[in-house]
Amino acid sequence: MTQPVLSVRQLRVEFSLRRGALVAVNGVSFEIARGEVLGLVGESGAGKSLTASAIIGLLEPPGRIAGGEIWLNGQRIDRLAPEAMRAIRGKRIGMIFQDPLTSLNPLYPVGRQLVETIETHTHLRGADARRRAIALLAETGLPAAQERIDHYPHQFSGGMRQRVVVALALAADPDVIIADEPTTALDVSVQAQIIALLKRLCRDRGTAIMLITHDMGVIAEAADRVAVMYAGRVVEIGGVRDVIKQPLHPYSAGLMGSIPTLDSDLERLVQISGSMPRLTSIPSGCPFHPRCPRAFEPCSSARPQLARRDQSLVACWLYEDVSAGAAR
Amino acid sequence: MTGSPLVQVPFVQVSNISRVFDVSRPWLERLTQRLPRQFLVAAANISFSIDRRETFGLVGESGSGKSTIARMVVGLIAPSGGDVVIDGTSMTDRAHLARRQKVRQRIQMVFQDPYSSLNPRWRAFDIIAEPIRAFRLCDSTTAITARVGELLHLVGLDQADGRKFPHEFSGGQRQRIAIARALSSQPEFIVCDEPTSALDVSVQAQVLNLMRDLQDRFGLTYLLISHNLAVVRHMASRVGVMYLGRIVEIAPSKELFRNPRHPYTRMLLEAVPRLDPDRRHREPIEGEIPNPLDPPKGCSFHPRCPHANERCRLEEPRLAKADLSAVSCHAVEERRI
Repeated sequence: MTQPVLSVRQLRVEFSLRRGALVAVNGVSFEIARGEVLGLVGESGAGKSLTASAIIGLLEPPGRIAGGEIWLNGQRIDRLAPEAMRAIRGKRIGMIFQDPLTSLNPLYPVGRQLVETIETHTHLRGADARRRAIALLAETGLPAAQERIDHYPHQFSGGMRQRVVVALALAADPDVIIADEPTTALDVSVQAQIIALLKRLCRDRGTAIMLITHDMGVIAEAADRVAVMYAGRVVEIGGVRDVIKQPLHPYSAGLMGSIPTLDSDLERLVQISGSMPRLTSIPSGCPFHPRCPRAFEPCSSARPQLARRDQSLVACWLYEDVSAGAAR
Repeated sequence: MTGSPLVQVPFVQVSNISRVFDVSRPWLERLTQRLPRQFLVAAANISFSIDRRETFGLVGESGSGKSTIARMVVGLIAPSGGDVVIDGTSMTDRAHLARRQKVRQRIQMVFQDPYSSLNPRWRAFDIIAEPIRAFRLCDSTTAITARVGELLHLVGLDQADGRKFPHEFSGGQRQRIAIARALSSQPEFIVCDEPTSALDVSVQAQVLNLMRDLQDRFGLTYLLISHNLAVVRHMASRVGVMYLGRIVEIAPSKELFRNPRHPYTRMLLEAVPRLDPDRRHREPIEGEIPNPLDPPKGCSFHPRCPHANERCRLEEPRLAKADLSAVSCHAVEERRI
């Protein structure tokens, strides 16, 4: 296998407080290959967005990377100086956030923001940069890009704004794009358009995409592989078909069953009792064990590690040799 | 139970309600810049009925007028025209004023955001007890305490939780408190405006299951507003699809999702991402909702509709009844699709 574009190994994010450190991301590992869409899915508080912030070096203090490594195309980036990280952010890692209105400066025309980004990260200047900006807007499917480039963000609809944000993320032709809930603020018909756009870019340009979402439908639609997160850990990672159709981890399975769909006539939805634990009280062992219908003896005492099972990796004692865990 | 009347009258009858908001610039600005007055039609001639113990779902994208209708049905805003009749009592007719007060007690509402719908300075107990006190449903403090404890238990919380403030609860627990508050006046009709949109999927499943259990137990009637088609399909027995302030299609839930007839309904169902990687979309949908301040002439969906013709551009279609469903589309009426 060729070298992955982005590789995260045993990432640990902590918040140091007076009372002690809260571990928000605990031993997260995954890789994304060129032209691949990795979906990162989980409920709020699972640590999805913090993982993204750690990768792009934008963790807000007191949050900090307390362990692990992040590699971008063979270069380790988790310990870079802020200036060096700034050169990577926007150039080699593009970002798309949930709310397109807050990602754009309301006081400048979108073209000016695009040209600024292009001039910062590429050798293009002036008219060349503007030509490139128009080409990018056209590529993201903005109608009449030539005229609309001088419009302000408020003159665009939500879907069109998100296209501008995608164009911004693409400005320097990055190796990887981190899209954090890119369609959550949009209506379904527009959501489908943005997903199609991301998939097309990924295919045509070979950009790797890390797609963070809480919406399993978006994952099923766009991702090649999925990592399911719970309480700061990856509990299962595998091909999108495997994880959605035959989830191994009881949490993934519960999550799938709890989603009402357009194709089934269930009377009752599968219910996972309780809710995601707070950072201050993450249960011992497997953090899911108090809510897990299949929890047994080792679950509360020892943490299961991600281990291969069929085509996927899963962190659950159901699939691990219990005696091996007890010895650890 | 009262004796059955000769003609089956629906429990909730919404007839031709409209709501127009005046969104004009201030007077002086209009005068100096010669601007005309501007009106936003948030809901135009909406009619539907809900039977007892039924869940009627209203679905549509943002800005389609769903919440405006919910607010008019419960009486939080007055309709610009039309009438809402609940159990034979008009909610707009002045002659029914006294009876309306009685009916109001039997209607409650659950809002979308449990973070802003609960008073942060009140304990859960007082939040739930407020309707009981307002309607004087219990005569003693001990009776109120017992009733609130019962309600907390009913929505899956503990009696001791009544002492806590809203910030001490998770989103799902807050929505349970909102439901307990809605139930405290023993309503028959609950309007739920996006009750699970702010919640995670596993918590959404808990709340939806709870809503169903309560409906079975107390014979509740729901008006469920949601942008999530799957939630509406799961909960509602009949569904109205809204687009730009109008209902474009009403049908029994099963029928609507199996055999959508209006081109907008079809497009919407097509756009929802399926939980099936083998059924990914090939062609994306074009266009977005037009500006409601300047809606297209004729059928408001015609600029995005693949079946639009000259008539669609000029003449507004009417909601035409056919069996149990109704569609407002020239193409369906002319049997072109």
